[in-house]
Amino acid sequence: MTSIHVDALVVGGGIAGLQTAVDLADQGFQVAVVEREPSVGGKMITLSKVFPTLDCASCITTPKMAATAHHPNIQLFTYCEVQSIRKQGAGSVATVSQKPRFVDTAKCTGCRLCEYACPITVPNTFDSNLGTYRAIRVPFPTAVPQTAVLDPANCLFCGKCEKACPVDAIDFGQKAETFSISATAVILATGFKLTPIGAKKEYQGGKLQNVIDPMMMERLLAPTGPYGRILRPGDGKEPMSIAYVQCAGSRDVTLGVEYCSRVCCMYAIKQAMLLNGALPLADVTIYYMDIRTFGKGYEQFYQNAKAMGVTFLRGKVAAIREDEHQNPVVKVELTEEGRVEERTHDLVVLSLGMLPGEDLSLDLGLKRSSDGFVNSPAPNARPNETDQPGIFVTGTAMGPMDIVDSIVTASGAAAAASAYIREFGKSPAAVAEESEAQKESVYA
Amino acid sequence: MPENKVADKELRIGVYTCYCGGNISGVVNCDQVAEAMGKQANVICSRTDISMCSSVGQALIEKDIKELGVNRVIVGACAPALHEQTFRGAVTRAGLNPFLYNHVGLREQVSWAHPHDPVGATDKAMHLMSAGLAKARLLDPLEPIRLDAKKHALVIGGGVAGLRAALDLARQDLAVTLLEKSPFLGGRAAQLGRTFPNQDEATKLLSELTQAVVAQPSVTIYTQAEIIGVTGYVGNYVVQIRQHGRGLSDHQAEKLMAACKQEVSDPFDYGLTKRKVIYRQYEGCSPASAAVDWEHYDGAPLQVDGYSVQLNDEVREFELTVGAVVVATGFDPYTPRTGEYGYGELAEVATLPQLIRHLAIHKDGDGLEWNGNAVRSLALIHCVGSREIEGIDQPHADGQVNNYCSRVCCSASLQACGELHERFPKLNIYDLHQDIRTYGRGHEKLYYNALENGVRFLRFNGEERPTVQAASEGDPYPVLVRINDRLTYGEEIEIGVDLVILAVGMMPRDIDDLVKMLKVSRGSDRFLLEVHPKLRPVETAVNGIVLAGTVQGPMNIQESLLAASAAAAKVSSLLGKGRVELPPFVARVNAELCQGGKPACVESCIYEGAIAQRTFIENGKEVTRAVVTAANCTGCGACVAACPHGAIDIQGWTLGQYEAMVDAIALELPELQEAAK
Repeated sequence: MTSIHVDALVVGGGIAGLQTAVDLADQGFQVAVVEREPSVGGKMITLSKVFPTLDCASCITTPKMAATAHHPNIQLFTYCEVQSIRKQGAGSVATVSQKPRFVDTAKCTGCRLCEYACPITVPNTFDSNLGTYRAIRVPFPTAVPQTAVLDPANCLFCGKCEKACPVDAIDFGQKAETFSISATAVILATGFKLTPIGAKKEYQGGKLQNVIDPMMMERLLAPTGPYGRILRPGDGKEPMSIAYVQCAGSRDVTLGVEYCSRVCCMYAIKQAMLLNGALPLADVTIYYMDIRTFGKGYEQFYQNAKAMGVTFLRGKVAAIREDEHQNPVVKVELTEEGRVEERTHDLVVLSLGMLPGEDLSLDLGLKRSSDGFVNSPAPNARPNETDQPGIFVTGTAMGPMDIVDSIVTASGAAAAASAYIREFGKSPAAVAEESEAQKESVYA
Repeated sequence: MPENKVADKELRIGVYTCYCGGNISGVVNCDQVAEAMGKQANVICSRTDISMCSSVGQALIEKDIKELGVNRVIVGACAPALHEQTFRGAVTRAGLNPFLYNHVGLREQVSWAHPHDPVGATDKAMHLMSAGLAKARLLDPLEPIRLDAKKHALVIGGGVAGLRAALDLARQDLAVTLLEKSPFLGGRAAQLGRTFPNQDEATKLLSELTQAVVAQPSVTIYTQAEIIGVTGYVGNYVVQIRQHGRGLSDHQAEKLMAACKQEVSDPFDYGLTKRKVIYRQYEGCSPASAAVDWEHYDGAPLQVDGYSVQLNDEVREFELTVGAVVVATGFDPYTPRTGEYGYGELAEVATLPQLIRHLAIHKDGDGLEWNGNAVRSLALIHCVGSREIEGIDQPHADGQVNNYCSRVCCSASLQACGELHERFPKLNIYDLHQDIRTYGRGHEKLYYNALENGVRFLRFNGEERPTVQAASEGDPYPVLVRINDRLTYGEEIEIGVDLVILAVGMMPRDIDDLVKMLKVSRGSDRFLLEVHPKLRPVETAVNGIVLAGTVQGPMNIQESLLAASAAAAKVSSLLGKGRVELPPFVARVNAELCQGGKPACVESCIYEGAIAQRTFIENGKEVTRAVVTAANCTGCGACVAACPHGAIDIQGWTLGQYEAMVDAIALELPELQEAAK
């Protein structure tokens, strides 16, 4: 089994993991990033635009993805699963499994000829299954690395891709390989899971076609999205009345989720504003309990949405059913007017929340808090630390938070890990000099 | 037309027009722009991409440089502030000098500015691109200015954020100087009791943090110290510091404190108590030595053991050179105007910070008392000084309203409700809010607990805030709070209470002098402004000046700590190598044109030491000429305009380049197309 030694191992290549990796690598540390998916970028790369600046998500994410890939001190391991992490002295050793891509990464140029040759069409998970892609493909246009991946569950092994590949990179015989990474510090940046759309039975999510999750709406709104316009999935109709059901996965003890997911108010308002631009004649209604626009510039964002004509109605939606035209009908107690109403919309978006992501305990004996996220033993003293020395946590693995907060906690985790590595590992000076020397020689 | 300075090498320009994920292509016809640019002189390739800044887009540029021999690159995309560096990096990787890259803003300048005029926007984009092209033809390879950097950071502010930043910087092998304006460390957190969500005592958290900082050998702390001047640049900021004296030695302290009779209202307790002008801020404060409140000390001698002792403030000023500055000057709680919800007029109206101090000071007693009167019923009003609406709420002294959410007050209010209920279970609490924003991890629990504890929640509209007034004589309660309650469908409810607590928000502090000295900017909310909330969330636009904590906006303790650690990580990356690189956009004197006469350039220069006239021997002849010190020059161009001989240019932004750009912009569209042929 090959073994790699680095100063820091970052588990998860979403925005938080990438930021931590770049910050540590900029200090001269050797960093390994392990990402389960075939590309880094995490959830953020699938978003359309991001609040409160309304920058396109890829404008922020792709350069960070590229910066990670190009950094001389960072090694990226995509399509790799961390199987276990064990403490060993001050450091840790991770056993990592490289899943087979069935494509030789050293040869593949990302030309996509295999993709064009492949006859099998499968739902596009990058597009929240709204569109389709091929059984072999570059995961999405801005993926890092630009390397094709074959999905063996759907592949017929017809060999068309093999014939199409100009560099002979297709390798049907590839097998999973296991290797180990030993690191002085480990940073868990494993992110979150979206509340399953069917979690709240009363909302019939997953059963009613025109009740969708917010990630689907992100893809519908994205310029690179599946349809290039906003169409409801049930019948392809352009929705003229769209509703957001807030707290559809949060602040709900019947779901066992007591906490607030922090991002749903802002993403619903953002999507409402973007819908206002995409479908100027459509009505957008947001059903809410409390509007929690607490971040820098967020309250102003909320007030702008109100001024744009987005309707905010206070009331927790009790149930959703469907009328004979497949239109979702929302039953809600309008608490400010004191009546229960049934209101019909063309499309309903459930503002689902954040659930803890992967099982992080990974033989590390990390405790989880009652909310299911990794326990933070000293939130007001050492927020990035866990119950184990040398194991740090960042981003939504720490609990629900938005992108701005994830990026700040990611740099915070880099500071905490850096101090730990300096104390228990090697000094970065030697590495820094090395990379400096490389830098000098770059200029032609 | 200006002379082409690189005529010896064939110009091969690559032009790239970015869709910006639809941000640009939604308005501008990018393909049309690319096509027009492709026809221009020297253009080897003209391409578009959905996202030029992505790995794929960057690879496109790198490939063209390597395979097509492209030697000048222009990208039309977002504002240069976002991705100019990204593309300079890409051309560098392909072996080209980074300054042979030119960035054209097509998003902020075009598509966002003219969303309803696609034809006009496309026309403008073509003009800006052709101007970019004109400049690209005249680009010279440049080298960044490399300077040694002090591996030493200055932290301004000794609250939780400043302390955390200092600790993290020291642990990342940097020397740290921490300045605190007051005589004691701890800042606003020292005024708190228990903190949410884990109910840790704030003073305990602080003392652990302070001890950790003090234990770092590379940290030097100055209390009663402030900055009076800043010069220099990243890597080498020269900071003038003024420090007041402690005024008394530890062995005299107790006797002097006993002898001191002069008392002032104690700002630490928000005026609830008085303290002597010789004082320790709180039990267990750090440093533990008593200090003199020089601002209020009347100068009268104190009688100790039969001697008369005069206390003197020995002010000293000194200078320090640091590589970077962490600004952690914190916030001020909002002080309501006199009459705002009865504040300052009714004795029964106080702020949440005052209540928190009151609970900390009066640890015993079965019932809550305020001004000696038993409190049976209390109303807590949220969003005082926060979420204000222009045109409805009265503007503050600077003419602005606080239209932001202060983020901490909901959780802090419900934390206080929890403590009140625990200590005074019979107390009636009314909570008047717009929205309950207990967003943080473990904060929602505070809300659930308050509901379980019988706190009565009422809800108002921002447009129609509650009112507070004195009750009529004979009423059972001294104060009446009126609210149009949205939870009872707009019913006008009148609540009689003994005490009204205003959950005041966070205000940016009056640090105008510091802001000017550091040349950083404030946002529309008047807190200090970061470069970009996602790309560079703790850095200011001034290289080497970073933000930590509530100086940037409302945050709770945990968020302040994280921001401070993030700031430390940025400084560590910046200074860790012991040197920094500055962009080469500085003044350059053309030796042949400089006459060395009346130094108009030196007189026009607004930065100290950026340009000077020097006399030296050259080829056996004595010559006098202007000389630029690159590290001090910001490339502002004042000297360029002042020089009567046209001898000065800003590297990378020369007059010749400007002329070429203006010429290109001034062309009519058909001419532009004509010029292409």
